Amino acid sequence: MSELRPRVDAMKPRAPMPTRTADPRPPDKFPSRGRYPSYLAFGACGAFLLLSAQLLIRGVWALGDGEAAWDAYIVSFGHPVYLAYHVAAFIGLTWFALRLFRLFPATQPNRMGPMKRPADAVLVAGLYGVFFTVLAVGTLFLGGALL
Amino acid sequence: MSEKLKKTFIVTRFDPDKDEVPKTQTYEIEVEPDWKILDALNHIKDTVDPTLSHRWSCRMAVCGSCGMTVNGEPKLTCKDPLSSYGDTIEISPLANFPIVRDLVVELEGFMEKFQEVKPWIMVAKERAVEEGTTRQSPEELADFKGFSMCINCMLCYSACPVVSNEPEFLGPAALALGHRYNQDTRDEGSHVRNAVFRDEGAIFSCSFANECSEVCPKNVNPSGAIQQAKLANVIDWATSFVVKRGEDVS
Repeated sequence: MSELRPRVDAMKPRAPMPTRTADPRPPDKFPSRGRYPSYLAFGACGAFLLLSAQLLIRGVWALGDGEAAWDAYIVSFGHPVYLAYHVAAFIGLTWFALRLFRLFPATQPNRMGPMKRPADAVLVAGLYGVFFTVLAVGTLFLGGALL
Repeated sequence: MSEKLKKTFIVTRFDPDKDEVPKTQTYEIEVEPDWKILDALNHIKDTVDPTLSHRWSCRMAVCGSCGMTVNGEPKLTCKDPLSSYGDTIEISPLANFPIVRDLVVELEGFMEKFQEVKPWIMVAKERAVEEGTTRQSPEELADFKGFSMCINCMLCYSACPVVSNEPEFLGPAALALGHRYNQDTRDEGSHVRNAVFRDEGAIFSCSFANECSEVCPKNVNPSGAIQQAKLANVIDWATSFVVKRGEDVS
């Protein structure tokens, strides 16, 4: 019988060398293929969030500056550029919210505090309920029905 | 016996000794209708071109070795039947990884990222044998079991647009694995892992493309794990000002 023992480093290279590789390639046809365009559009809607937040801050600032400043702020919304922006922002942010609602259940843990997580459909229905309630209250408020 | 199908495979080839950049080679072969992509690649290697290199092992979507890009989508090639594809099938190595040869990619960077999240149970003090086993309820197990189903196939890294643009990003599988240990009731090292999570190139680099969860062959949902980790880390950071964190763990 052979006295030879197995060599544990038999496959070790004689000298350390970097592996010669070709550069990584980005995902095929990024960003036009498959689900990538909706992901990029989702990210781009951040611009609407940023601009709308700035408009809101401007409103708070105008409130602090007195009635005349507030009236000028409200009147400025009648400008065609603002109207176009608001239509685009409404469409963009509605789509943003709906995509977020679709993904939301997958981001929730198995348990919420002591409770077991509700079914995905319940979570999504709850989000839709809150969204449309806020939308209705906001519309009534801006339309003057709640003042 | 079922009738054979004729399929055309456009396969990426790269020989580091000869090629500067990868190229493609076309193979027209007859396949059985119930074959998977991997069966066709093995057939090409066995009977047409023995120089073709690809990685595989278990042939039943368990080992995670045979991940490749098939018609632009990261796939386990042992999983999908050829009948679910058209007459022409493009096969290339996983995107976002350096190519070693043909369809084989470099794994070293991936393995290093795994170590970063400390994917093991950390405890402040080892339990004595006399104390018995650590108990865990089925509910506690269910909190992280899904995240522990990862087979390290790397499809999520290949699909992730953040990995493409931010190479230092720890990536979906590693972050999901770290979150899995943070959710484990036997673990006491979440504050250590959370420090890694809050660093650059970790959970807050994720922009929620959700591609990782879409392509995951085991429904691990890495994207969900990362979003959960984001919320847990915000809470952990906020409460760290008032609650003392755990002892040193190992």
